[in-house]
Amino acid sequence: MDFSFSVEEEAFQREVKEFTRRELTEEVIQESVIGAAEGPAALAFRRKVGTKGWVCPAWPRDYGGIGGSNMQKFIIREEIGYHGGPYMGIASDMVGPAVLIYGSEELKMEYLAPIARGEIEVALGYTEPEAGSDLAAIQTSAIEKDDHYFINGGKIFSSGAHLADYHWLLARTDPSLAGHRGLSNFIVDLKSPGITITPMWCMTGRRVNQIFYDNVKVPKKNLVGEKNRGFYQTATALAFERTWVTGDMRRALEMLIEFCRKTERYGKPLVVDSVIQQKLAELAIEVEVTYLLAAKIAWMLDRGTVPEYETSMIKVFGSETASRLAYAGTEILGLYGQLAEGAKWSQLAGRFTFAFLDSSRLTITRGTSEVQRNIIATRGLGLPR
Amino acid sequence: MDFNFNEEQEMLRRMARDFLTEECPKSLVREMISDEKGYYPELWRKMAELGWMGLMLPEKYGGSGGGFLDLIVLLEEMGRACLLGPFFSSVVLGSSIVIEAGDEIQKQDLLPLIAKGDIIITLALTEASVDYNPASVSVRAKLDKDEWIIDGTKLFVPDAHIADHIICVCRSADSMGEDGITLLLVNAKSPGISVVPLQSFTGDKQCEVIFDKVRVPQQSTIGEVNKGWEYIGRLLQKAAVAKCAQMLGGAQQVLEMTIAYAKERVQFGRPIGSFQAIQHHCSNMMTDIEGSRLLTYRAAWMLTERLPCAKEVTMAKAWVTDAYKRVTILGHQAQGGVSVMEDHDMPLYSKQMASWGPAFGDATFHRKMLGQAWASE
Repeated sequence: MDFSFSVEEEAFQREVKEFTRRELTEEVIQESVIGAAEGPAALAFRRKVGTKGWVCPAWPRDYGGIGGSNMQKFIIREEIGYHGGPYMGIASDMVGPAVLIYGSEELKMEYLAPIARGEIEVALGYTEPEAGSDLAAIQTSAIEKDDHYFINGGKIFSSGAHLADYHWLLARTDPSLAGHRGLSNFIVDLKSPGITITPMWCMTGRRVNQIFYDNVKVPKKNLVGEKNRGFYQTATALAFERTWVTGDMRRALEMLIEFCRKTERYGKPLVVDSVIQQKLAELAIEVEVTYLLAAKIAWMLDRGTVPEYETSMIKVFGSETASRLAYAGTEILGLYGQLAEGAKWSQLAGRFTFAFLDSSRLTITRGTSEVQRNIIATRGLGLPR
Repeated sequence: MDFNFNEEQEMLRRMARDFLTEECPKSLVREMISDEKGYYPELWRKMAELGWMGLMLPEKYGGSGGGFLDLIVLLEEMGRACLLGPFFSSVVLGSSIVIEAGDEIQKQDLLPLIAKGDIIITLALTEASVDYNPASVSVRAKLDKDEWIIDGTKLFVPDAHIADHIICVCRSADSMGEDGITLLLVNAKSPGISVVPLQSFTGDKQCEVIFDKVRVPQQSTIGEVNKGWEYIGRLLQKAAVAKCAQMLGGAQQVLEMTIAYAKERVQFGRPIGSFQAIQHHCSNMMTDIEGSRLLTYRAAWMLTERLPCAKEVTMAKAWVTDAYKRVTILGHQAQGGVSVMEDHDMPLYSKQMASWGPAFGDATFHRKMLGQAWASE
């Protein structure tokens, strides 16, 4: 048993810290929204991370990795997340791994290296109006004709699609097959004729998108893996990579503690108030548990173990902890909690105000807490379906 | 990083699991609860033969030179089996103090006998204030020529009724805080000591120990005079994590019982484990246990490596205490009415919350420690 980083990992962590200090400017932080790069400076930063081989360090060198470890990736994400940079790429964390496992050599050469260099971003295309938690209810159709598939239908709640280059699409390739069977994965160029992207506005003020497909022509080679196996491929890819970066939560908690040290109410600093202490301590422990869960998943991946329920566990626990942290933060801020960044008298750069508004999204997106708990119970504990 | 135990520790775990399954069935646990002694000497002797009492002791004192993590493995299995008896008092508390603070004569006198299971030694720390604050130590020790005279009452002293020796945490100076506390080794049969087991529903035997002008020779002092809290402070960290390990084992057993029941119990024509309400309870239990495991093992590893870990220990005890409570509550809930029957195994685990939870500081206590550290930084 050993809960410390190795000497090499410690040295690597110092290198990442130095890089972060140098490259992570205020502008980049401004454009990094919930870990995503949403502006030119943040995108440039991600490319710099890619140049170091740090977007997907654990990938093979042929596909743009540095043959590194998942523990290194954990260190990179935690550091960048802590300092407020864009740590998460849908391309690198969700699409790339699926292509790596299931994609043809041609697709791997075409997409993986640019993803690893941080040059391209991909938007997710799972959810539809009638297919939320019940992903098997997807209706968007992909009909095979000659060398192409023709796609009709639409996707909803897609983060970053207005900035992304490609769409990671799950569509029905065989309408005669019910449910999970009959779905396939595609990589679609979002500039293809017939695609329309329109904004939907979250309660945070952040944009997500609706994507309409009107007879969009996609080359056959862009079908990833096996036809009609898309649902299962998606599940495996998600099990591999669904984790939680705690860096931003750790930073937020530190800022909150610092705020409680500096802020006096009723003649004494908030931090000596026992109710506040209990609340902060509870959060600190929950954040710590999330961190240890994430470290353990990285360790498992490096040992060649495929996590299953562990990734669902960290998704539920991480998102619910982030939500509790957001609510506790705004409660401690009191009336200031309603002032977003930029407002006069806004506190802690509006960080908790934004997190408060975003918290209900966290426990829904990428598999609701309920779906994750089902997975833990059935896959982790063997309870019957 | 390495989240696994090593091979020897895994072997120890398998051996302990097999041994306790065989030798400590629930029928025996129930006997121990109603038994006056609270343990089964035959089982105690077998545990000693396996080398468990001396697991952490150096070889020259009859031990096997293991580390704190090895002990954690054992305690987890003991918690799982709901083993009752003086192991925690004698090994985790008593022998740790002697090893850390005792002089060579005391070590040679006591440790080999502890390792053999021939004597039981316990720690008298808490008093009527039932907290773990040094300011609460009020049992007086006064030096009269070459003898200490001890006066006062200790409460919730584990296994004092069967102990051969009691290490009493005494106030030895006119002070309030950490200074002026001395540890004294007292023969439990000394004149002036009266021991009354408390009627706790948990099955753990804990006692009121009244010291009425009890005289002990000056050489019974363990460690430095007036500096006793230094040892107790360190011991409390170990004891808290050791308690976490017991709760972790107990919680894991509760989860496994619950899963087994949920798979076979049929209502509305289906196993109840197929209902999401039950699945979500079980999933929450599992998450609580996984968190308990990570925090307990990390704190235990740091203690083994002698790294500073005040924060990590408080995080572990705070979380595991709350997690154990949640897990036992949900275990009852999922297993329904049958689980609140006295002859069901669930009460053996859920009742322990009342003893294991507050022992060495409950969740609120430990969160307060974290909070105070921030306030004083």
